Amino acid sequence: MGTVLVYVETSDGKIAPITFELLGAARKLGGEVEALLAGDADASQLGGADTVIRVEHPALTPYVPEAHVAVLAEAIRQRKPQAVLVGNTSVGIDLAAGAAAATDMPLVSYCVGLDAEGGAVVGHSQLYGGKIIATTKTDVPAIFAVVAGSFPEAPGKSGGKRQQVSMAAPASLGSLRTRFVSASAPSGEGVDITKAEKLVSVGRGIGGPENLELAEELAKALGAEVGASRPVCDSGWLPKARQVGKSGMTVKPKLYFAVGISGAPEHLEGMRDADLIVAVNSDGNAPIFKVAHYGTTCDLFDLLPALTERLKAKAG
Amino acid sequence: MHIAVVLKQVPDLVEELEIDSGGKDIDRSFVKMKLNEFDDHALEQAILLKESSGARVTAVAVAADGIDQVLYAAKARGADAAMKVDAGEEVLDSRRASSALAGAIKQLAPDLVLVGVQAADDLFGQTGPFLAAALGWPHVSVVSGVELAGEAGSKVRVHQEYAGGRMAILEVDPPVVIGVQAAPQPPRYVPVTRLRQAMASGPIESSSATAAAAESGVAVVAVSKPEAGKGAEMISGSATDVAEKIAALLGERGLVRG
Amino acid sequence: MPVKPIVLAILTAATLSWSGYRFYRLLRPVFHSPWENRFDHMPRRLWGIVTNIGFHQRLFKIKYSGLLHLMIFSGFVILFTGIVQAFGEGFFPGFSLAPIGGHTWIALVQDLFDVIVMAGLAMAAFNRYVLRPARFKGSNERDATIILLLIFAVVFDMLMQNTFRVAAGGDPSASWRPVSSTLAGFFGVFGLHGAAAKPVAEVFYWTHVAAILAFLAYIPTSKHLHIFVGIPNVLFRDLSPKGVLAKADLSKTPIGLKDVEQLGWKQKLDLYACTECGRCQAVCPAYAAGQPLSPKLLIMDLRDALLDEEGIGGHVKHANGNGHRELLGATIQDATLWSCTTCRACMEVCPLHIEHVPKIVDMRRQLVEQGRMEPKLQDTLASLAQYGNSFNQSERMRAKWTKDLGFVIKDARKEPVDVLWFVGDFASYDPRVQRHTQAVARVLQEAKVDFGILYEGEHNSGNDVRRVGEEGLFEMLAQHNVDTLAKCRFRRIMTTDPHSLNALGQEYRALGADYRVMHYTQLLLELINSGRLRLAGPIGGVATYHDPCYLGRYNDGFDAPRQVLNKLTVRLHEMARCRENSFCCGAGGGRIWMDDKGIKERPSENRIREALALGDADYFVVACPKDVVMYTAAVQSLGVEDKIEVKDIVELVEMALDPHLVAVR
Repeated sequence: MGTVLVYVETSDGKIAPITFELLGAARKLGGEVEALLAGDADASQLGGADTVIRVEHPALTPYVPEAHVAVLAEAIRQRKPQAVLVGNTSVGIDLAAGAAAATDMPLVSYCVGLDAEGGAVVGHSQLYGGKIIATTKTDVPAIFAVVAGSFPEAPGKSGGKRQQVSMAAPASLGSLRTRFVSASAPSGEGVDITKAEKLVSVGRGIGGPENLELAEELAKALGAEVGASRPVCDSGWLPKARQVGKSGMTVKPKLYFAVGISGAPEHLEGMRDADLIVAVNSDGNAPIFKVAHYGTTCDLFDLLPALTERLKAKAG
Repeated sequence: MHIAVVLKQVPDLVEELEIDSGGKDIDRSFVKMKLNEFDDHALEQAILLKESSGARVTAVAVAADGIDQVLYAAKARGADAAMKVDAGEEVLDSRRASSALAGAIKQLAPDLVLVGVQAADDLFGQTGPFLAAALGWPHVSVVSGVELAGEAGSKVRVHQEYAGGRMAILEVDPPVVIGVQAAPQPPRYVPVTRLRQAMASGPIESSSATAAAAESGVAVVAVSKPEAGKGAEMISGSATDVAEKIAALLGERGLVRG
Repeated sequence: MPVKPIVLAILTAATLSWSGYRFYRLLRPVFHSPWENRFDHMPRRLWGIVTNIGFHQRLFKIKYSGLLHLMIFSGFVILFTGIVQAFGEGFFPGFSLAPIGGHTWIALVQDLFDVIVMAGLAMAAFNRYVLRPARFKGSNERDATIILLLIFAVVFDMLMQNTFRVAAGGDPSASWRPVSSTLAGFFGVFGLHGAAAKPVAEVFYWTHVAAILAFLAYIPTSKHLHIFVGIPNVLFRDLSPKGVLAKADLSKTPIGLKDVEQLGWKQKLDLYACTECGRCQAVCPAYAAGQPLSPKLLIMDLRDALLDEEGIGGHVKHANGNGHRELLGATIQDATLWSCTTCRACMEVCPLHIEHVPKIVDMRRQLVEQGRMEPKLQDTLASLAQYGNSFNQSERMRAKWTKDLGFVIKDARKEPVDVLWFVGDFASYDPRVQRHTQAVARVLQEAKVDFGILYEGEHNSGNDVRRVGEEGLFEMLAQHNVDTLAKCRFRRIMTTDPHSLNALGQEYRALGADYRVMHYTQLLLELINSGRLRLAGPIGGVATYHDPCYLGRYNDGFDAPRQVLNKLTVRLHEMARCRENSFCCGAGGGRIWMDDKGIKERPSENRIREALALGDADYFVVACPKDVVMYTAAVQSLGVEDKIEVKDIVELVEMALDPHLVAVR
């Protein structure tokens, strides 16, 4: 494999964990690893990169998708990498397809595994909410959008040559049609589930808001906070501040008790690093069981009250 | 202000998916299709903009089995017009679908294109950015709120979501393609009477287009179902038994007293 | 020409024209209303007048109030003679009722009923100002006071007039007026007799007449309008089957009730008939739960809105000057309409047969049309449209519960069956109910019943979809089921869910369907009675039984479940609110698809408390899948699992079939 270019994702000037996963994956693919750092961040942290390509321009910080697509496409044109790795995150969804179209390269999304195989990359992608795994074979050069949590971070933190080069920002950054206006941190609404040591998280399987009480009772017995999957928050059953996953919070509690959550990749991204994951779901094939340490298909309407009782009895 | 909303159907994940005999795709003869839920939010966002600013809304989709129903439902929800783009193929990936749609959308000349941020089946990338590239317009994805700003909607303000619940407001000069993650309110219900009225209002306008050639160099080798419960140690038994076991293992780890 | 007739004529003419004009304004909208045929079954209608008005059948559900009403009501009938007499002699000096007994028995009953009415008024005042039952909350107390005073004035003035006529001497009816005579003797002590009493009698004559005229002038915008509207309202009551809602015309706009003017003539008459007695409010589960619905206030608000539009608001609360205001979202809040469980308790208890539920559903239709509903209901309706069930689950999963049965249930679409079992959504999909569904299957199998189900061919019956106000979706679901059933061969249908029972048995008739539909409790009873189910032994214990609204009130299925319990030798300890007075679990009318926001005490918890208060009930027996869900949750949330056990009746039957289970017990 020739050069692999990794797009460095940053968040508030810090390098996002997905970047290290990508650098690790790039090292695994073999070849020269280049990291494209568009905007401000500490390049010295990118220990897994052989070359860090820095592009600086006022339009790049804060993040504006139009600017970053232009820079990524420009870098691909100049550096001619064999493979380009982008996170399949909010930012990646913004960039990958745009860069692929601009450079006329193939794009494979939702990748959870990548292997070099001769002049091609064999990838595994999670489709249909994790219900189907597609195996793809792609001739390089190509772009891959990688689901967070698919590769370990550690290999991406060291082993690179740590050279730095600068790349001129493309001229189009001077005439963008997208402007940054303001940013906001998550609204707490009194709870911060990212700080909770234990979380009982509910998904659509709970049926309806009238059954939330079951989860709340269990949370009380456990001394846990209540979290939720995106559909539950989108339906307004629980506030957004309790949402775990890609467009919600990333949590790393000691205990993550998933109730009626099937485990869409977007959700898994936000909780897979919990120390202990226990999942209750009626569908034994649900993807949540792939990341859970313990699982049961026991009916949650029976199990939750039973477990709550059991825990109360122990405490008392 | 003219808004085009791009809609498509995806396999309903409520149903079990089966793999077809070729092993490279799901068995589509058995699959039940429904409107992609993110597209549903995009449509809701468009209708909300129509209600707040009087925008005109056109629902656009690639022709496929059952798409008329989707477009009628969009009209029943409040879309002013609906159009299906016939590319002569039933199953198109998002990249090729975008190439087929771009021509029709150019003709509609909307100020805003709203599309669901993603779909469960877009293996080869998301529709929104591809469409934007084909149209030569800017694009913003993972948006959970669109407002019109400036005089007569000369600017569009979007709320873009990032990991960890962070959010930014970006301002874009239309025309622009926006990938909608969630509308500010859940998609509204369409009463059956409205749907019937929409269906009685005449056939869906159709235009033909050709999708770009299939991507060279990338191929699906196989599709498979993930193994059940791989990873988790499964606990079975009655609710009381399972509760007992879970309580015990939480106890062992010092997560609960006892 | 004497002065008296002229003065009386002027007063009467003025009052009658004022009052008549107001009556005209009241009745005008009634005569400009959509047609409702309420002229069928006249003998039954007339008999209803006898029982409901003559015998005070419903009024006597509250004995004290029933009695005081009967005292005043009967007094009104009797004292009408006094009115005839007053106006007769006023216009035609020398007029007398003497030829028909005006000086004898009429005088006597007048005298007696003067006292009876005043006693009734005293009881009413005691009730209203001292006892103050909660059902009066929100009623117009000022109006009630004015009415009590006016009635008192009419009766008192008449009595005084007669007293002083007796005192004046020469009254030919004196010997037949014991009360007047006694009072005359009393006033005589103060010198008010003979010539001195004559002018006093005349004064009371005029105050009596004035009170009558004042009453007449006041009545059109008072709740006392029921003395005129009550009888026609009972006469024209709804005699159609209880479980059938009036169809909405989906080709017209607006769909449903958007403006009070759209109400049919009888629906408008209902508004005028309301006496604000609040019996409906007292039995309403939504009101008890602290939700923003009182059937009484709803009717009052609609009435005020109608009066408002007619520009004759006597006590209009919402006047905004131009007399026109949005009905929905302003006069009637959305949340009020969504609170209703359509349990029909209000309609069952209303002494004047006011029809609350159809009006609520009709307004909901308009809300649905406008998309004004909470997200969860929206999700559910979308699921029903997409999958034919309310669980957002695949149609193919409908019969998943049959998998672990150990035997295969016939597919009624493929082979003929005796009993076609329409299982329903909750019994099919809800894991808390599935075990009971399996029990029903096992029991039928045990009894060698030739039965089958529709598998994924079954869709939600649409009963509650219709009550939510989504008429189009109801039609879609109903048509699907009717079409599916048309291809099946069966002798009768059994439903688990009383809501399905209502839809298939009553609502589907409008689609040309005519099935023999029974509830599973009825089949269980049949199987026990015929000996096809052999009970292994008595279970014992004490049970209380909850009547599901759609089995009991709507379909008169009160007895079968009780007889089954009797056969099982379980002692039945009834709750006070049983049979047609049953208290809804809170799930009906689509409420189970809405959230509990704003509920202070869940109706299901209120009910469980009632059962606990019996003191000895081991089982809380239910015969509706939604009740299983509601009451299991209620028992858990009250933390009384150790005190009372929610049991589906089939569980008890299965227990009684198995000698081992009986022994274990």
